[in-house]
Amino acid sequence: MSIIREQIAIETKNLKKQFKEVKAVDGVSLKIKKGELFSILGPNGAGKTTLVRMLTTVLTPTAGDANVNGHSILTGKNEIVKKIGVCPQVITIYEVLRAEENVEFVAAMHGMPRKEAKEKTKKLLEDFGIAGRKDWSKRFSGGMQRRLNLVMSLIFDSEILFLDEPTAGLDPQARRLVWDFIRDLKNKDITIILMTHDMVEADSLSDRVAIIDHGKIIAEGTPSELKEKYGSDTVLELSFLEQEDLEVVKTNIQNLPFVVNSNEIRKKERQTLLISFQGGLKNLVKLLQQGLIENIDEVENMKFRQNSLEDVFLNLTGRRLRD
Amino acid sequence: MNFLENKAIQIAIKNIKDKTRHWQYLVFSLGFAVMFTLMFYFFLGRDEFQYGFPGMIIYTTAAGTTSAAISFAVDKTSGMLERLDTMPTGRKNLFLGALLSETFMISLQILIMFLLGYAVLQVPYKGIFELIIGFFIAVLFGISSVGIGIIISGIAKTPEIANAIALFYYMPILFLSGSLWPFESPIVFFTPPFWAKQIFLQITVVGDGLLDPLYNSSLIGTTAQPIAIPIWGGLLIVVAFTLAFIVIGIIIFQKKTKF
Repeated sequence: MSIIREQIAIETKNLKKQFKEVKAVDGVSLKIKKGELFSILGPNGAGKTTLVRMLTTVLTPTAGDANVNGHSILTGKNEIVKKIGVCPQVITIYEVLRAEENVEFVAAMHGMPRKEAKEKTKKLLEDFGIAGRKDWSKRFSGGMQRRLNLVMSLIFDSEILFLDEPTAGLDPQARRLVWDFIRDLKNKDITIILMTHDMVEADSLSDRVAIIDHGKIIAEGTPSELKEKYGSDTVLELSFLEQEDLEVVKTNIQNLPFVVNSNEIRKKERQTLLISFQGGLKNLVKLLQQGLIENIDEVENMKFRQNSLEDVFLNLTGRRLRD
Repeated sequence: MNFLENKAIQIAIKNIKDKTRHWQYLVFSLGFAVMFTLMFYFFLGRDEFQYGFPGMIIYTTAAGTTSAAISFAVDKTSGMLERLDTMPTGRKNLFLGALLSETFMISLQILIMFLLGYAVLQVPYKGIFELIIGFFIAVLFGISSVGIGIIISGIAKTPEIANAIALFYYMPILFLSGSLWPFESPIVFFTPPFWAKQIFLQITVVGDGLLDPLYNSSLIGTTAQPIAIPIWGGLLIVVAFTLAFIVIGIIIFQKKTKF
């Protein structure tokens, strides 16, 4: 019998980074398998970018270590940067260079022969809808600059690709284009580390997700595992104009056996109660009968949906990802 | 790998494109040389202008300080430096590329001044050979200015601050070195432009050789006194300043950009 051992692309061991009093990353230990699309999901300021900056050898950790492609981030910088591609969160392009000049420059930094770089650049720019633009990239729209920022990280056939919020600020069409491209990359056996605060993105693309908050990994698993473990199968969203109406419903439902939990959020100037419960449609009727019968007229808006990673985060922290 | 695929060359080409595509930069770097020359020609009169021209050339190349300081500070603050650090670029190539591109721009500046001064405004010179040597001395001094620019970019938090610090450095140096107005004081010996200007002046105007003594000011034949250091010694001092500024610049920049 052959023993198949999963190869590890990245392993972090109690990785920490502290800036003066702020613990940006606080003891992160992770194992990311080769060829996996691993998302790190967390709100702004959770420590995602600091973590990726350490893994890409830009930042030196305060404590701990990580192995990236078999090399320590403390001692193997030169080897690591040969095999990784990085798409930074901030758009980092040379504004007076044309799109192809920007991409070919990155190719040259990776030591790619000019002819190959030119051919690959042309193809990538076509794929991302930037081909044919002969003006300087500072004249591109924000979305085009964001796509160029991504293309610059794709020109080189990296073994590990770090994508830090690659779709931030993109319109839905461009976002879908990027997602499709990321799915294609997955099929090429590239390990992809996706930093995002977009739960739909993480949910639809990832093999596994780690949720980070205040520099700590608070949950890890496949999207369905997380949803199952830290939530229920169904969520009922109820919006009220008045807080007291919400409180009445909250009290009414608290003893219902199928209700997993309830969280309050403020959404579009309304008090919103998110009730996570088991049993789907069958229990929805019970929930409405017992929890809302007296207050049904006070409900401004009602939404019944499947549990999402956003709910997982809310259940774990009591906050929304965008708070 | 061919010459053009060399990373430092690629960085230099990118930098030159970056500079030459900013018309404001072109006005500042190349137009500054023209403005400076013409301004002194019309305000000082022909005789004084001829006398101060070598100092003007040396001083104009000091603009390399501002250019390098801003260039590195922009890369630092825009996140491009960090992005380059995640590629197998190597800081060595980054510095080498910057030195090459700045040297190219400085050479262009000096050429424009040479053409304007010697060909158009008829500033006297000893001979073509002496002018060629003078050209290389001016370029060497320009490289030392780039070194100071790298030091400044390491310290400055933004390109605007880098620009301000560069001005803060070279405005006083202009007067303390006696580059434009003769300043017979021991202070001049501590300023890099003095050595470059004095060597340039004595080689291209007076026609001195490497073994001749250096003078303490431009007023050779009147109040200037020879010093114990010959021209070759002065040249070594310029080389030492250049190497020291570049090495210190790289050390400071590396230290300040390591997180």
